[in-house]
Amino acid sequence: MQRIILLLLICLFPALPAQADEAALRERIDMLSKELEKLKHEMEDMNSRTEAIADQQQAVNHATAPGAQENASSQVSIWGYGEINYNRPTDQSRDSKMDLRRAVFGFGYRFDEDTRFTSEFELEHAVVSADDDGEFEAEQFYIDHNLTPNTRAKLGLFLIPMGFLNESHEPTRYYGVERNFVETAIIPTTWREGGVGLYGDTRQGISWDVGVTTGFYLGNWDPTSTDGQQSPLGSIHQELQNAKAKDLSAYLALNYRGIPGWVAGASVFTGKDSQGDPSVSLASGSRVTLWEAHTRWTPGNFDLSALYAMGTISDTADLNATFVGNPTLIPKEFWGGYLQAAYTFPLGGSRSLAPFARYARFNTGSKYASLPAGLNVDSLPTETVWTTGVNFYLNPNVVLKADYQHFSGDYPGDVNQNRVDLGLGLEF
Amino acid sequence: MDVTGFRNTPTLRYLSFNSVFFFDDEGTPTGGFNLDGRAASLMDQAHRPFLAPHEMANATPVAVMDKLRSASYVSEFMQVFGSDIFDTGDAAFERATFALQQYEKESAEFRPFDSKFDYFLAGKVQLSAQEMRGLALFNNPTKGNCAACHSSARLPDGTPPLFTDFTYDNLGVPRNPDIPANANPDYYDLGLCGPDRTDLGSRSDLCGGFKVPTLRNVAVTAPYFHNGKFATLREVVSFYVRRDTNPEEWYPNAGADRFDDLPPQYRANVNTTEAPYNRQLGGLPALTSDEIDDVVAFLKTLTDGYQP
Repeated sequence: MQRIILLLLICLFPALPAQADEAALRERIDMLSKELEKLKHEMEDMNSRTEAIADQQQAVNHATAPGAQENASSQVSIWGYGEINYNRPTDQSRDSKMDLRRAVFGFGYRFDEDTRFTSEFELEHAVVSADDDGEFEAEQFYIDHNLTPNTRAKLGLFLIPMGFLNESHEPTRYYGVERNFVETAIIPTTWREGGVGLYGDTRQGISWDVGVTTGFYLGNWDPTSTDGQQSPLGSIHQELQNAKAKDLSAYLALNYRGIPGWVAGASVFTGKDSQGDPSVSLASGSRVTLWEAHTRWTPGNFDLSALYAMGTISDTADLNATFVGNPTLIPKEFWGGYLQAAYTFPLGGSRSLAPFARYARFNTGSKYASLPAGLNVDSLPTETVWTTGVNFYLNPNVVLKADYQHFSGDYPGDVNQNRVDLGLGLEF
Repeated sequence: MDVTGFRNTPTLRYLSFNSVFFFDDEGTPTGGFNLDGRAASLMDQAHRPFLAPHEMANATPVAVMDKLRSASYVSEFMQVFGSDIFDTGDAAFERATFALQQYEKESAEFRPFDSKFDYFLAGKVQLSAQEMRGLALFNNPTKGNCAACHSSARLPDGTPPLFTDFTYDNLGVPRNPDIPANANPDYYDLGLCGPDRTDLGSRSDLCGGFKVPTLRNVAVTAPYFHNGKFATLREVVSFYVRRDTNPEEWYPNAGADRFDDLPPQYRANVNTTEAPYNRQLGGLPALTSDEIDDVVAFLKTLTDGYQP
């Protein structure tokens, strides 16, 4: 502020005539001083307003895209994102597919300065009908309310704040055509639950998020399907669809952002998953717990990140005993992690090019509870995936992607998965 | 009453979970009552035994109603369906079959879910080591693969497994000479495409298909398969896993007349692609002799009325 005033004085005073008499000069200086004082107050007022707006923007930042347009008269916001992907297995090109993976539209409504509604609706795989693969789903539907300048509450169906991708899954915000395996197979992005959460920031740069929500339901486990091998938690999530809710879950997420360009965080989610249902009484004490830690450093045009997640499902031995011989028993432990590096080359205008590489390892069934002699199942093999490619941004909200993924493990249910991917992603 | 029948008698238990006949999204025939699915409901199914010559052999519905009039419970019947129920055509006969349907649907006697396996699912008993091995072989897609049709998983609403998916399959079961009609070499019971069922006669691809029965109480419901060819569970399980590796054990003239209970033009309909049928002549069966015993031991845990 002082620098701005000094600059203003320098800009204004050179125009004074040398021959002006002292009284006139003093009068003029007094007048300018008053004007400056007035300007100072106006700027301070403007700054405080800007900070208030920034707080509000941060409050809805979890849900709204940067480009979300708000109609000032109606207080309605509309935004969206989507992606079209092409996958071509290099050894089995007959399995190549192109898919409108998702088209998502968000609607928000600001009731007043403190209370806002956020929703997102997702259409997957282009066509939704009883005979098609597509799904239409409510991905977010919650009320957000400012309790204090630094503490906010959310109530409804919202995203669980674990890892990078689950809350920030728009295709312009991650490298590579497909979402990374760790944050889909281990952390079941896009993972949402119904419940209540409190979140906020401290002056020391720590953001926190804690809540009580619905959780997983082990009765959804299908031992005859390989879904549970693709994503153990993804196969038993409930998505607030008549969700069984006898047993609520809890989560806690912490992130440190006190140093510009660097973030480090960790989170945990835990809850019982039998929901008191008689059909899974053999696992009545079972509990899902998922831990995760992550960090991201963005020095200059570099973007370096790492994430590790591990999940457990306890008390599964008796229920697994009824599933013996089936392809997919309930794992006791599963885990995954990745390292990722990217560099952004500005290309002029709003275009940029971001080559990247990602190394991921994960195992969706690293341990199983003991079964009667002769019936134990082996751990699943650990999968390793190298992904290298490029994001080409036409502008910050439209991205063309290309990458190559090399699989060097024996991922369950598939062989020869190496593939070339192309994608178009956008958000507004 | 001395007229012999044509098919094995299926159980009425757990049929309240069945549905009307339909083709699913992939064209798989599903549901329906009777072994060929031609009855649309339990009520519809109840008509036939009253009138079939080889069952109760009543000549007409009127004959059934005459007997109903003299039944000890006729006053209760009229109290429920109206005092004039016998005055309107075949209405009393229809109501009698309706009453049977409701009994089968509403009474827990028809779905007790109280086998040893049910107690095991509830965590109240343990299966023996042999029974557990049998369950694993039963479920294993590369061994018995029995659960592919006789599902051992709970229904989505948590109902205990029914051990049937109510679909149809063509197993190439050997011809049973104990059925008098089979003395005629031109007679074939082709299930879905006739002769009892008539609406799918043009679907030659379905000829030889019979409904997958529940395996609940299978240990006490011999004989087995639609034509009652086998008398023991061990024979049945052995047939499943050795039909393709050792056909000489099942067909009198295995070289020329494999799948001898089907006319030659329909023998290609027999399921030879899924485990355990996908084995080569002379190859190793999907189950060893000991493993067959294990599966049979498991099947015996599916009998209702277990006392823990």
